[in-house]
Amino acid sequence: MTGWSGQKSGQVDSGLANGRVAVSQFRVKGSAIKLEGVGKETLEQGRNRLVVAGVLFAFCFVVLAGRLVGLALSGDGSVETSGEHLQASRPALEKDVGSRGGIYDRNGQLLAVTLDTVSLFADPRKVPDADAAAKKIVRVLPDLSEATVRSLLSGDRSFVWLKRHLTPKQQYDVNALGIPGLFFRDEERRFYPFGPLISHITGYTDVDNNGIAGVEKYFDDQLSGRDRGQAEPVALSLDVRVQHALRDELSRYMSIFQAIGASGMVMDVKTGEILGMVSLPDFDPNRPSDFSSDSKFNKATLGVYEMGSTFKVFTTAMALDMRSVALSDGYDATEPIRIAGFRIRDDHPKKRWLSVPEIFMYSSNIGTAKMADAIGPKKHKAFLAKLGLLERPAIELPEVGAPILPPRWNTLETMTISFGHGLSVSPLQLSTAVGSMVNGGVYVNPTILKKTGETEVEGKRVISTKTSGVVRRLMRLVVDKGTGRKAAAEGYLVGGKTGTAEKAVNGRYKRNALITSFVSAFPMDNPRYVVFAMLDEPKGNASTHGFRSAGWTTAPIVSRLVSRIGPILGIAPKDEQSESVQKALHIPVYSREKNVASF
Amino acid sequence: MRWNLTVFFLALFACVSYGLYQLSYEVQQLEDDLAGLRRGIENNHEAVKVLEAEWAYQNRPDVLQALAARHLPLLLIAPYQVAALDDIPVRGAGGGAPEMRVPVPRSRPGRGLRDRQAPPGSLHLASFSHGTERDEGVQ
Repeated sequence: MTGWSGQKSGQVDSGLANGRVAVSQFRVKGSAIKLEGVGKETLEQGRNRLVVAGVLFAFCFVVLAGRLVGLALSGDGSVETSGEHLQASRPALEKDVGSRGGIYDRNGQLLAVTLDTVSLFADPRKVPDADAAAKKIVRVLPDLSEATVRSLLSGDRSFVWLKRHLTPKQQYDVNALGIPGLFFRDEERRFYPFGPLISHITGYTDVDNNGIAGVEKYFDDQLSGRDRGQAEPVALSLDVRVQHALRDELSRYMSIFQAIGASGMVMDVKTGEILGMVSLPDFDPNRPSDFSSDSKFNKATLGVYEMGSTFKVFTTAMALDMRSVALSDGYDATEPIRIAGFRIRDDHPKKRWLSVPEIFMYSSNIGTAKMADAIGPKKHKAFLAKLGLLERPAIELPEVGAPILPPRWNTLETMTISFGHGLSVSPLQLSTAVGSMVNGGVYVNPTILKKTGETEVEGKRVISTKTSGVVRRLMRLVVDKGTGRKAAAEGYLVGGKTGTAEKAVNGRYKRNALITSFVSAFPMDNPRYVVFAMLDEPKGNASTHGFRSAGWTTAPIVSRLVSRIGPILGIAPKDEQSESVQKALHIPVYSREKNVASF
Repeated sequence: MRWNLTVFFLALFACVSYGLYQLSYEVQQLEDDLAGLRRGIENNHEAVKVLEAEWAYQNRPDVLQALAARHLPLLLIAPYQVAALDDIPVRGAGGGAPEMRVPVPRSRPGRGLRDRQAPPGSLHLASFSHGTERDEGVQ
């Protein structure tokens, strides 16, 4: 170390302030310079301060260096935090960018999606020439009126909406106009690519993207991510192709028979999945406010109707399952039944003894009423309760109607309900119950959610497998030789039951207003799907010879529909005349008619 | 020696600070790149969603049905038109069938067809006639 030690010679009070003088008085002794006295003290003090400052700075640098090493090693610092923050603010970056989850059909078709849109607004004070700007804007946005835009732009407010939810192309065009004072704001909008096709099931959202109907409402928490913090998509059991075929056929026949409404359903009998569900008239969920509340009414789940003769399926199945009557037995249907001031008569009276298969295929009210009467009101009610016909069905939709039960349930009610009058149920309930009649006798809860192949479908047994087999053949008999012949779809072995009911208005039946329905299943040798069709107030025309009963008006819908959806659903058509099919679906009619010429 | 050490440390200091600055700028650059990529991914996601919606919209069944009705001779599928894959005979299983299907230039179309018999087991196309009326009719 260099020993700088000053040695004072002479009185230099000025110290270092006058360096030249001081230095001139240094006496060099060897290599060391020595300073003594006041100068030495001053130097010492300065050196001490220097050291303190140096230590401080060194400490700071050590801290910085340590921090640097720490950052380099652990990698956990502000840089990474910002990255994490970025990710945390967009949790669904990988799965779904939008804030609300999408709705898909069973094949992954997009049914509802939230898109980021831009809305155009203006600051009129910054728009230099309102006239020219209005002209240009109307050129690219033709649905705006020039006068409105001009008056908006010439006001002295600082913010006016010009148009909400532009398409990307419109945004590009407006941008290309280069008008100062126009701005875009990012917004979100729910979009339904299929428009009215699936309107009643998807439902719709309000302007704040809250679900207010249908699946949008029922799964609002899941779709918006309110329950788990992440928006999740919903996969429905619907098949868009089936849905379209159903809607297409229903609307076609609705216009042919000038009906005021229609509804239909296609349901998987094994899993309870609904593949198609239509209620007409319907609405476009992209602009729900343009449609009346009548069109938003879901006839398939919310509407309850007296279904008429389709209930004979349940009465017959019940009587056979409880062994109250054998297939070869029958009842006398010669005279109408008079009970409590009512007269129960047949629409197509045969005026003779009818066997059970005949009662079913000719849709005899008298025979069915006697069949139910033999069982009694209590058991009858319990049986219908097992089929889910007496309580509100459980399905993933908010719009579900409860059935309307008679105020009391005695012999008269049992007789009328046996052929479908006096008890109002929704098409959904009817389809589910018929599904349980033909699928081997197991009630499966209906669902509009897609079921994966692995999950075992739970159900409760309502009738025996053997009875279910008989019901299948009886329903096939109706299409083969009975009232539902127009429902036949070659190769698909359709079986079903017609139902014609007068509409009850203010507690009285309107003779001229009918609800005609047809409930069917196919293929009848091993039913896979239940198909239901209903027309509200159809009118007869020349092609039906003025008739408007279900066999004339709704059965053809099922025929065409099954022919269309059979290939889509992968049902291989069979030769209906082949021996194996004939054998599997053969049922003896046990007719006692004298001249059995027709079959 | 002392000076050497000082110079060495100065040089080291200069190098390290240069390196640090370089690193710092590099990190900033990477940060910007990352943010840009994220923005790009997000934009692409959004674009994909718009395109998916557009695709679904353009594939509405009623539109497809109208197009099919206009351009394709398809009606309701009759049961006899549906066949399983196994029902189709394997081509060439009978041996030597393929050369029948190769169009060979001929002086007169259809001449000589009468003599050639399709080998057993080969697929008879609807347009393939065994040269009877059509053979004489088409000159």
